[in-house]
Formats: sequence, C-alpha cells, structure tokens
Amino acid sequence: MRNLFQFFRRYYFYFLFLLLEGISLSIFFNYNELQGSILYSASYSFSGSVNDLFRYISEYFSLSKTNKVLVEEMAKLHSRLPEAYYKTDTNSAYFLDTLSRIEYKYISAKVISNSTNKRNNFLMINKGRLHGIKNHMGVIIGNKIVGQVVSVSPHFSWIMSVLNKDSRISAKFKKNNQLVTVEWTGGNYRIGLVKEIPRHVVINKSDTIISSGNSEIFPEGILIGTINDFTIVEDENFNYATILFTTDFNSLGYVEVVVDLMRKEKEELKTSFKVH
Amino acid sequence: MTSRVFIINCSRFLFLILFQVLILNNINLGGYINPFFYIYFILLLPFSTSRWILLTSAFLLGLGIDVFANTPGLNAAACVGMAFARPFVINIISTSSESLIGINPTIKNQGIKWFFYYATILILIHHLILFYLEIFRFDEFFQTLFRTLISSAFTLLFVLVSEYLFFQKPKQQHK
Repeated sequence: MRNLFQFFRRYYFYFLFLLLEGISLSIFFNYNELQGSILYSASYSFSGSVNDLFRYISEYFSLSKTNKVLVEEMAKLHSRLPEAYYKTDTNSAYFLDTLSRIEYKYISAKVISNSTNKRNNFLMINKGRLHGIKNHMGVIIGNKIVGQVVSVSPHFSWIMSVLNKDSRISAKFKKNNQLVTVEWTGGNYRIGLVKEIPRHVVINKSDTIISSGNSEIFPEGILIGTINDFTIVEDENFNYATILFTTDFNSLGYVEVVVDLMRKEKEELKTSFKVH
Repeated sequence: MTSRVFIINCSRFLFLILFQVLILNNINLGGYINPFFYIYFILLLPFSTSRWILLTSAFLLGLGIDVFANTPGLNAAACVGMAFARPFVINIISTSSESLIGINPTIKNQGIKWFFYYATILILIHHLILFYLEIFRFDEFFQTLFRTLISSAFTLLFVLVSEYLFFQKPKQQHK
C-alpha cells in the first residue's frame, strides 16, 4: 500500500496531466451534447454579457446607432418584398389569402462577437430564443449570406459563419439554376470554394452564385458571391471553382435572421412521406 | 513574498484572459494570424511553482479563454499540454551552471538566448496542439502548419516586446 502511494506521489505529475488533458478533450469532443447543460448556458450568458458590454463601449467609436435604425428599417422593407411572399404559379388557388401569405420574416440583430481568422468561425448576436430565434435558421445581411444559427440561449444566439469547415451551402448559378455546393477551405476569408459543378456547365469569371432555396435555411436568391477563378479537370465528373464572397465577413455590424414561417409545414411534408 | 507573487500571478491571469478575448481575438491580420498572447502567463510562472499548480492553473486559463471564445476544451487542452512540457523544456535548455536565477523565467534573469529557446519551444507546442485539434483532420496539413508558424511568430513577438516593456527597469536598480 505504501509503495502504491509512493508510486502515485512520484508520478502524480503525469497522472494529473492525463486527467486534465482527458477532461479538456472530452469537453472538446462532447461539445454538442454539452450544449443543453446548465453549466454551458451559465457560461454562455456570462461570456455573452461581457462581450455585449465591450461591444456597447466600443460602439461609441462608430456610427452604429444610425446603422441600427437603417437595418431595422431594411428588415421591415425586406419582409414586404415580393420574394418574402409565398409564390404559386398555378391558377388553382382561388383565395387571395393563400397568394399573399408571408413566407419569410426577418429579425434584425446586433453582432456582439465575430471572427474570420480561425478555421472555424462563429458569430454571436444579441437576440435569442425570447425573440423567436431557433436552431438552423439562416442569417443574412441585406441580401448577402452570413451563416446559420447553431445554438440558442434566451438572449443570445450562436451562429456558424460560412467561414467554417462544417458549413456547406446549397447554391446555384444565377444564370442557369445549376445546383452546386459552396464551402470554405480556410485561409483568406474573402475566397471560398464551389464544388460539384457538373462538367457540362460553362463557367465564366464573375458568374453570380446565389442560394438555391432547396434547404429550409435560406430563401432562394440570397447572394453568395461571384466566380473568381476556375480549373477544368479533364477526367473528373465535376469541376471546381473559387468564389469571391460578396459578404465582407470582417465588418458585420447588424445582421438579419431569416424565419421561414412555413418551415414546419415543409418538414412535416417530408417526414410524412418517409413514414409510408 | 509568496503572497505577493500569488497576487501578481492572479492579476496577470485575469488581465491576460481579458486582453486576449476582448482585444486580441478581435484583431485580424491577413486572415491567418491570431496571436495567443495569453499563454505568457504560463511562461512567466515562477520556477518554484509546484507542478500541480502549474497544470491546474494552465487548465483554468485555457478554460477561461474557451468560455469566451466558445471553443470548449480546445484552449484548455493546448494549455495543459504546454504546461506539461514546461519542466522538461526548462531541464533540456538549462545548463547547470547558469540555470534558474531569480523567481520568474525572464530575459533579464536568464538572458535572451535562453528565453528565446524557452518561449519558442513552448509557444510552438501550444499552437500545434491548438491548431491541429481545431481542424482535426490532416487533409489541410500544410495550410494548418503555415497558420501555426505564422501565429507562433506573432505570439513570440508579443511576448518578447512585453518582456522588454515590463521586465527591464529592475535591472538598473540592482546595479
């Protein structure tokens, strides 16, 4: 027994190292499961309020108050654009109500923390569950893409920026609606990668890439960027291109969260098909 | 004496966390570079720090950064790894005759060459763990390596500059 104690005393440095490193790594790899825990939301709201305070102070150095008024006004106007309304091409809808039902709503929010220099970048905004924000909602600025909500607390939301290794955006060419995928490979925050371009699609520089509207996250037609450079690979089925993001991720002040009011209906429709 | 050292280190701990999350994490140089100056705390811990305090304080330091940066466990893992390596690095680079004068490892006490090796090795260890754990795959190996080296260089620059800013004056008093 004494020998055992001596053994531990002698090598406690190694054991303590393994213990602490083990704790760190298990926190790191179980991050997603931790999100619901009390500890998590406590630390979350603490860091959120500190960041909020700091932003509040630094706000005086810019003209963000004017900005806020403008963006909120813009969100209101956005909700009235034709794109925000549910579209139907058939003439079989007789009720005026169905034709003019709002499909998307926009909630404006202030960015309180943001980064572009990591491999996985996130933003925090000052609106959360209490303001109607839920997981997997899209985030845009003006008509430009920003990211999607990945975690919500009562007053804050955590947004996965497009500049993230887990970010995969369903997009399309504006000119011919060909579906592609947009990712970010790290490094320069202005440049992204367009994947899965079918071989027969003719690519030109400065072709516009917009969101496809296939996922329930973004409405159709949100600007992602323009083709910057491309290579034609002879033996592959798909071509690649680099894209210059329209959004300047480094200067986000206010953003808008997209609320798809018909999302539930769309999801129910999908799952109801799977059951049968 | 000891309580004074304790208070100095505690306030350095808090200051470096706040400086890192409120200022440095918002600085963006060329899209690649993010200096992690907060690890200066681990570099500066006194030689006589017992090893469990070294590991535990490094763990708490990393966790503190993680809470703000919302990268749970990432900085903590890197800091614990770095703190674990510290005694070994000190052993390797110190020759017995000149070693370990003074309380803290500083340029003033140990000389620029010793401190440069000491800081470079530990910063590299920290940054390698941090960046490779963050990406956690090897298909961007060289890009990640590049980011690691660039960020390490900037962290080292910060550390050396603050060495000369904060630890030079007492030397004149000794003479």
